[in-house]
Amino acid sequence: MGSSPLGQLLLGGLTSGLLYALLLLGFLIVFQVSKTVNFAYGHVGMVGAFSAWLAWSSWALPLPIAIAFGVLLAVIVNSAIGIIVITKIPPDRPGLDLIVTLGIFLFLTAAMQLLIDAKAHAFPSLGGGSRVVIGGIVVNANDIAIIVLSLVVIGGVHLLFSRTTVGMALRASAESPAIAESAGVNVRMLRLGVWMVAGVIAAVVAVLVASRLSVDAFYMTPVLIKAFVAGMIGGMDRFFAPLAVAVGIGIYEALAIYFLGASAGTPAVFLLIIIALAVIPKRFTAARHEVRA
Amino acid sequence: MTDSIRAQNVTVRYGAFTALREVSLELPKGVITGVIGPNGAGKTTLLNALSGFTAVHSGTIHLEDRDITDLPAYRRARLGVIRGFQTVRLLERESVLDNVLLGTERLPQPGDISQLLALRAQWRWKKSAREEAREVLQLLGLSSESERIVDSLPFASRRLVEVARVLVSAPPLVLLDEPAAGLDQRGRLELATALARVHQQSGFTLAVVEHDIDFVTKLCTNVIAMDSGKFIMAGTPEEVFADPRVQTSYFGRSTHAQA
Amino acid sequence: MSSSAQSLSSAIRISDRGLRWRHLPAIFVAVALALVPLLFFGDYWMFVAAKLLAFGIAAMGLQILYGRAGQMSLAQGSFMGVGAYTGYILSSNGVSPGLQLLAVIAIAGVVALIVGLPTLRLSPLRLAIVTLAFGELFNWLLINTSQFTGGTQGAPVKPFVVLGLDTSYPLDAYLLTLAFAVVLTLLALNLAGTQSGRRMAAIRDTEMAAISVGVFLPKTKLIAFVLSAVFGGIGGWLYSGVTGFIAPPDFDLFASVFLLAAVVIGGSRTVIGAWLGAAFIVLLPEGFNLIGQPNLYALAGGALLAITALLLTDGLYGALARLTGMARTVLSRKGSIR
Repeated sequence: MGSSPLGQLLLGGLTSGLLYALLLLGFLIVFQVSKTVNFAYGHVGMVGAFSAWLAWSSWALPLPIAIAFGVLLAVIVNSAIGIIVITKIPPDRPGLDLIVTLGIFLFLTAAMQLLIDAKAHAFPSLGGGSRVVIGGIVVNANDIAIIVLSLVVIGGVHLLFSRTTVGMALRASAESPAIAESAGVNVRMLRLGVWMVAGVIAAVVAVLVASRLSVDAFYMTPVLIKAFVAGMIGGMDRFFAPLAVAVGIGIYEALAIYFLGASAGTPAVFLLIIIALAVIPKRFTAARHEVRA
Repeated sequence: MTDSIRAQNVTVRYGAFTALREVSLELPKGVITGVIGPNGAGKTTLLNALSGFTAVHSGTIHLEDRDITDLPAYRRARLGVIRGFQTVRLLERESVLDNVLLGTERLPQPGDISQLLALRAQWRWKKSAREEAREVLQLLGLSSESERIVDSLPFASRRLVEVARVLVSAPPLVLLDEPAAGLDQRGRLELATALARVHQQSGFTLAVVEHDIDFVTKLCTNVIAMDSGKFIMAGTPEEVFADPRVQTSYFGRSTHAQA
Repeated sequence: MSSSAQSLSSAIRISDRGLRWRHLPAIFVAVALALVPLLFFGDYWMFVAAKLLAFGIAAMGLQILYGRAGQMSLAQGSFMGVGAYTGYILSSNGVSPGLQLLAVIAIAGVVALIVGLPTLRLSPLRLAIVTLAFGELFNWLLINTSQFTGGTQGAPVKPFVVLGLDTSYPLDAYLLTLAFAVVLTLLALNLAGTQSGRRMAAIRDTEMAAISVGVFLPKTKLIAFVLSAVFGGIGGWLYSGVTGFIAPPDFDLFASVFLLAAVVIGGSRTVIGAWLGAAFIVLLPEGFNLIGQPNLYALAGGALLAITALLLTDGLYGALARLTGMARTVLSRKGSIR
């Protein structure tokens, strides 16, 4: 153990926060391009990580292959959800996507419990036990992987959206699908592509979370909720603001645990969301009622 | 019961676009006023500003002597400023009668506890409210449809249901936004006649945004003309329609006459 | 919707007219259903029936909030827990069932105000998250105040003895919950004919029209919230008396999701839909138990929630109404009524 417990905890908070941010990123790109809330998103990742664990522990596949297998499954599941949503949910039924993905959330929990089991399992830690001590804080391979990966992915997605033609097509599809369509953009394919990329992100986050804790059929639910909360506070139609809030939530959680004890993490975060929404500026609340000609 | 409403130097902006420019006008008490103007003139914005659905950037709005500029829309409605919408807004899966009954909100009625627990006061109120609703439905010729679910009604009837909802509480001030839009010739005639009849009974202040000259001439004794967010003039239908400014803005600039 | 399906559903949707002859079929069916357990059921199934009634009450509450007022809540399971644990804590201190009930109503109402007030201007997703957050908070509270609640181990609940009925006997439990169910169902049905109920429908369908006639939306939302919480609390309290044992997982996120599933699958537009849905979520696991596949229940539930939401807008109730409407059309054609 390093010599700076607070520093250690802050590192833990930072890495947790980066994981929330990464998961939120996957959720946001689908929300912004497809206008869909995917309540089952955390479970998509869980499917990936849980399957990867199964492949590694029961079929004795080498870890990287097992993880690739999990990622592939996550992409398939998320794409399936995406296809259902894109083809079956008309835009004039708000809230329907939430209900449908809620059902999928239930379904996936039960499916994975049936296919594998209902217990929690230890996931192999990535990078073995290698660690380095910086300024009294123990930093292990998992932490470095999280920091590097999240910065790369977040930076990469941002560059994609802002600098490439694909990104422009994506933003056009998000703002006005009809116009994008008539400009020759294949909106449906693009949307599906976004769902697939989001599937990869979910699986990666789920594996990283699993290697820090353990994996079972429900473990991603709190991660997704905290990501949601960050999105709601930072703004679902923004980019860096909600991600920053997500990292902030990770650090806030760590501080709550440091000062108030191990079981304080959960209530601290959930109290935050309730209070934040009570004091929230009008900007984040539902649109004012305006009637246009 | 009737009230007049007055706008003074009202400006409404949507971002960089100015929808109403320093508009000053009055809807006189007890009079049926038509509001005319080409598309984009700001007629709907005017209704929104008067009813509180849009905030004004500057200027004041007075209901009789009372400054209501800062009152939210629901408060103005409780004071008796009731409006209809250009696109009819109804409780789609409820009956005609239930839709009209929604309009009884501003009438004195038993409190929520009485209603929820079905206490005696609630029974009595329910009976009298339904009678009022049926009266309005009869005036508008909808009596036979009172139990039908509105989403199965033809377009013209749906508009009439909204008008019924607006009128059921006998408000002192009524604002209707193109109530005849989409109606055929006969439908327009029936609506104008019904509105005239109700107005004759209660004498409230009524403003009707409309494009149809015949409709406006038949129903309204006062007409306000607007264009490009500005108030042009007010007067009798004959005066207004003969005025050269109105002729240019209404007929000269549009590519086809709005007959 | 065809006019015959419409007239049938107007008949089934017991409207603000009070009792009429055309309500007779529905009343007859309800009475017959209520008699079935008394005439045919042994202890176990009587107990299941009582559980169903308790869930039905909670489902009706959620139907009011979600089906009538259009507000999404993932906390109805937690409100059941509020009722159950309030009753438990009070009964551990010797409080009588009558006073327990009053406390359940009061506390559920107060909690609803606390949770509801910050949520009044939120969009459906945000409301869902806040109610979920409240649920998680409540769950944490139950687990971490084990000196009052028994924590994760759960708590045995003393049976209620009310008017000679003792809930440790399945028959008595059934009769007691039936009495509550009847009264609360009548109140829920009455709502449709009140201005209160119409305001809530306007929140769901057209807030603008509501504002334009003077409705103050935040108050209406709050009332819907409180009403739904009180129904949930009473349902949870009855559940605790019927089952005799409560634990935090009974009232967690999954419980709330299953209640929402019940309302959606049964048909969110009507009170009857809530009952169809409650029957569904209580009887389905029993069905799966009988065929030896208990774990398939959640699988089926989740799949059905998604499928019903996508394909059957009015859930089971809507499907039944259409079927009986079609039957009526066929019958009337055969008899050449028109």
